[in-house]
Amino acid sequence: MLIIFIALISLLLQFFLPWWIIAPVAFGLAFWRAASGKHAFWSGFLALFLLWAVMALFKTIPNENLLANRVGQMFGFPDWAFNWIIMLLITALVGALVSGFSALAGFYCREAFLPEPQERKAV
Amino acid sequence: MRYLKALGFTLIALILTVVLNTKFGDTPPLGKLLNPFRGFWQNAEPRHYDKENTLKIRGLKGTVSVAFDERMVPHIFANNDYDLYFAQGYITAKDRLWQMDFQTRFAAGRLSEVVGSKAIELDRYQRRMGMAYGAENMIKVIAEKYPEVGKITDAYADGVNAYINSLSPAEYPIEFKILDYKPEKWTSLNSALLLKLMSATLAGGSDEFYMSNILKKFGPDVTKNLFPDYPFREDPIIPKGTAWDFKPLEIPKAPDNPTSMQNSSIRTKQKVDGIGSNNWAVSGSKSASGYPLLENDPHLDLTLPAIWYQIQLNAPGVNVYGVSIPGSPCVIIGYNQKVAWGVTNVGSDVLDWYNIQFKDASHKEYFYDNKWNSVKQRIEHIAIRGGETVDDTVLYTHHGPVVYLDNKKPKKFSKAANVPTGHALRWIAHEGSPDVYTFHLLNRAKNYADYRKALTYYYAPAQNFAFASVDNYIAITPNGYFPLKWEGQGKFLLDGSKPENDWHGRIPAEQNPTVKNPPRGFISSANQSSTDQTYPYYLSWEFGSYNRGHRINKRLTVMNHATVDSIRSLQNDNYSILAEDILPTLLHAVNTEKLSATENEAFNLVKDWDKFYNADAIGASIFEIWQAKLGMEIWNDEFGGAVPMRMPSRDRTVELLLNEPNAKWYDNVNTPQKETRQDLVLHSFKFSVDSLQRKYGSIGKSWQWANVKHSHVPHLAKIAGFGSKTLMNGGSKSSVNALGETNGPSWRMIVALGKPNKGFGVFPGGESGNPGSFFYDNLIDTWTNGKLNELLFMNSKTDQSNHIKKRTTLTNN
Repeated sequence: MLIIFIALISLLLQFFLPWWIIAPVAFGLAFWRAASGKHAFWSGFLALFLLWAVMALFKTIPNENLLANRVGQMFGFPDWAFNWIIMLLITALVGALVSGFSALAGFYCREAFLPEPQERKAV
Repeated sequence: MRYLKALGFTLIALILTVVLNTKFGDTPPLGKLLNPFRGFWQNAEPRHYDKENTLKIRGLKGTVSVAFDERMVPHIFANNDYDLYFAQGYITAKDRLWQMDFQTRFAAGRLSEVVGSKAIELDRYQRRMGMAYGAENMIKVIAEKYPEVGKITDAYADGVNAYINSLSPAEYPIEFKILDYKPEKWTSLNSALLLKLMSATLAGGSDEFYMSNILKKFGPDVTKNLFPDYPFREDPIIPKGTAWDFKPLEIPKAPDNPTSMQNSSIRTKQKVDGIGSNNWAVSGSKSASGYPLLENDPHLDLTLPAIWYQIQLNAPGVNVYGVSIPGSPCVIIGYNQKVAWGVTNVGSDVLDWYNIQFKDASHKEYFYDNKWNSVKQRIEHIAIRGGETVDDTVLYTHHGPVVYLDNKKPKKFSKAANVPTGHALRWIAHEGSPDVYTFHLLNRAKNYADYRKALTYYYAPAQNFAFASVDNYIAITPNGYFPLKWEGQGKFLLDGSKPENDWHGRIPAEQNPTVKNPPRGFISSANQSSTDQTYPYYLSWEFGSYNRGHRINKRLTVMNHATVDSIRSLQNDNYSILAEDILPTLLHAVNTEKLSATENEAFNLVKDWDKFYNADAIGASIFEIWQAKLGMEIWNDEFGGAVPMRMPSRDRTVELLLNEPNAKWYDNVNTPQKETRQDLVLHSFKFSVDSLQRKYGSIGKSWQWANVKHSHVPHLAKIAGFGSKTLMNGGSKSSVNALGETNGPSWRMIVALGKPNKGFGVFPGGESGNPGSFFYDNLIDTWTNGKLNELLFMNSKTDQSNHIKKRTTLTNN
């Protein structure tokens, strides 16, 4: 569930707000809902990996990857027809890492500041 | 431990986010650039687009219809001039906003705001040359004297701003995201800056610093001999023998000792010859249709987004098609249903340097006309990204700005190499002028008289305006503000304390050289001398070489029943007059017994070469390097030393090679033995073969001219991946098809006058400035192949045509 929360709220807010809003979103939701460090990190990571990858695909496929292949060359890759896949992976990874570490930070902040003796159920 | 983990991971997340949101040096902020909601993915345009849409735009007076053809060229239909220019601004910005913004910043000396302190010397230079000062003068003069021009540029600016205001950050052009900045409000001043930038590109060169150094080292006789005031071979724009039917003003008398002397120790590069343009028109008597044909191909440093933007503008009183400069209203080169026109650069001397004698180190007063005069200060505030604003004080005399004081010139900044320190700059680009009005009137011109009237508003950069009309007039006018000068004024640095060295007003606009319907049945220009030596006024001592012009005239002379195709074949002509002039002499001077096997093979290739710089010609590659090296070997020992000088022109080099086999210039003064012409010709030939061999292996396909020349179109900010691939083109700087490595025909146009007029054209790029658009570089292949597209000229907004692919309505409610 946490993964869906993070993905959905990140999706909605990014229509109005800058990209870095994904960090507080993952932090806050993990603070609220994460069951463990692992759970927090992978929920944040996968949510944004998928969200950014899908959104990028949504833009690049109708474009026949014309722009992503050019940007790949800007990043120093040769003039290949597959640059767009590299760019897609880099993009998804950037979002995933920010979200994953933010979620991890959210979970540990909760552990530090609101310690609860009983185990929480994973959501 | 708990707290430590919390703190640690929070810090990691925070640092990661901040780092990915920050620009480091030239590395863009990755999170901002890559995120698919606002980053570069948003600039990926789909191949399929809406066929019809309506945009609500506040500020329009009425409704504007825009039809887009299959090349996405907008055809704008408005009910009044305000809406017309508003829509031109809006639509142009939609395709080219970043290019407009970046070029304006470049012109104004404001790049440091975007790219940081690495651009500071460039910004300082642009400001010290008075670019912004000139643009401000233009705005001032327009406001005071030409309110009708102000209305045009203001309407255009309103349109650009309406587009900017409609943008969300996700919609910013990709380069804003890569360089991490935002578009800013557009003003008429920006349009003025772009026109000043054209002056800087086309009329901003100067050699007088070098020429004065040459005069000092070699004396007046040698200087006159090697740098004559009229070329050895010429085929002027206004045909030889054309009569001047006006009474000239009194020509100022040359003073006895006008020059100032100065030199310093900065090495410079040889001036690049061959950046120029062609235009010509043949009269109905020489065409198959009985109506004139006009062509134009302006050569510039090619870039993507394309330099030009095709557009059709229609409103009551005007219906015109052609290319515009993104950022400036009107069509600059084009045609309507009555007339067609095109421009090439004149290259007259409109930039002079005056030595300034200051009273003392405070630089508050300078000596002029036997008294001390006060210096005006203009303080330039240069904002720097990630740093503090730098204030730069520029001193202005009545001549213009003192670009660099003694010892204040930056050492490693090549743009400033030709600037003499302690000299004030008098430059036509500082003048306030209504140039835009010329194009506004040409767009609406119906006949020869309208053309002549339109030209009187044009100042700079001076252009050869070729003209043809459906009522069978052809004409050409080297036109602009030509200062009235004494013979040779400004060939060398001038003493700025004497009033007789100032410009003496201007040549009356109606006395600018011009010719109408000459007996030879055609007019043409290719940057060569404007006139023969009978023109009463002095324009300059040196123009572009006669090579292209001569080839054009030779072919037009024998051309009859001309069609669009015969004109197009001349546009793509790769023949080299330079090779025709000197190759036989060079070949004759080579002692083939001294050649190796490879050199012999190369010699035979160049001997059998047909002198066309075709893409597959190996002889062209050998000759090109050979003649360039030979020029260097002749002159570099005398003119390439520590004192900055330039070399004699190619024309003078040709004369030397043909007529002066025993000249002392062949000897390399740095060696004990005496070199002859034969030694240099042989040595430079061996050098050519050797350098090709080192770079391309043994003689074969890889030696072909297109491969050696390596033509391509780079991105305006040199972003990798955003430029073109290597283009396998022929052409050379001395051919009519003047395509070099990255400069060449930036727009090729042919207009077949008649009823109706038909236009054909192409440029190396596309209408869109977005590298993520299918219309970014879609015209390059057509251009590379030397073909043209038939242009869609609509008569009314209701015209139906298969070529119309999209219709947009702009409304104010």
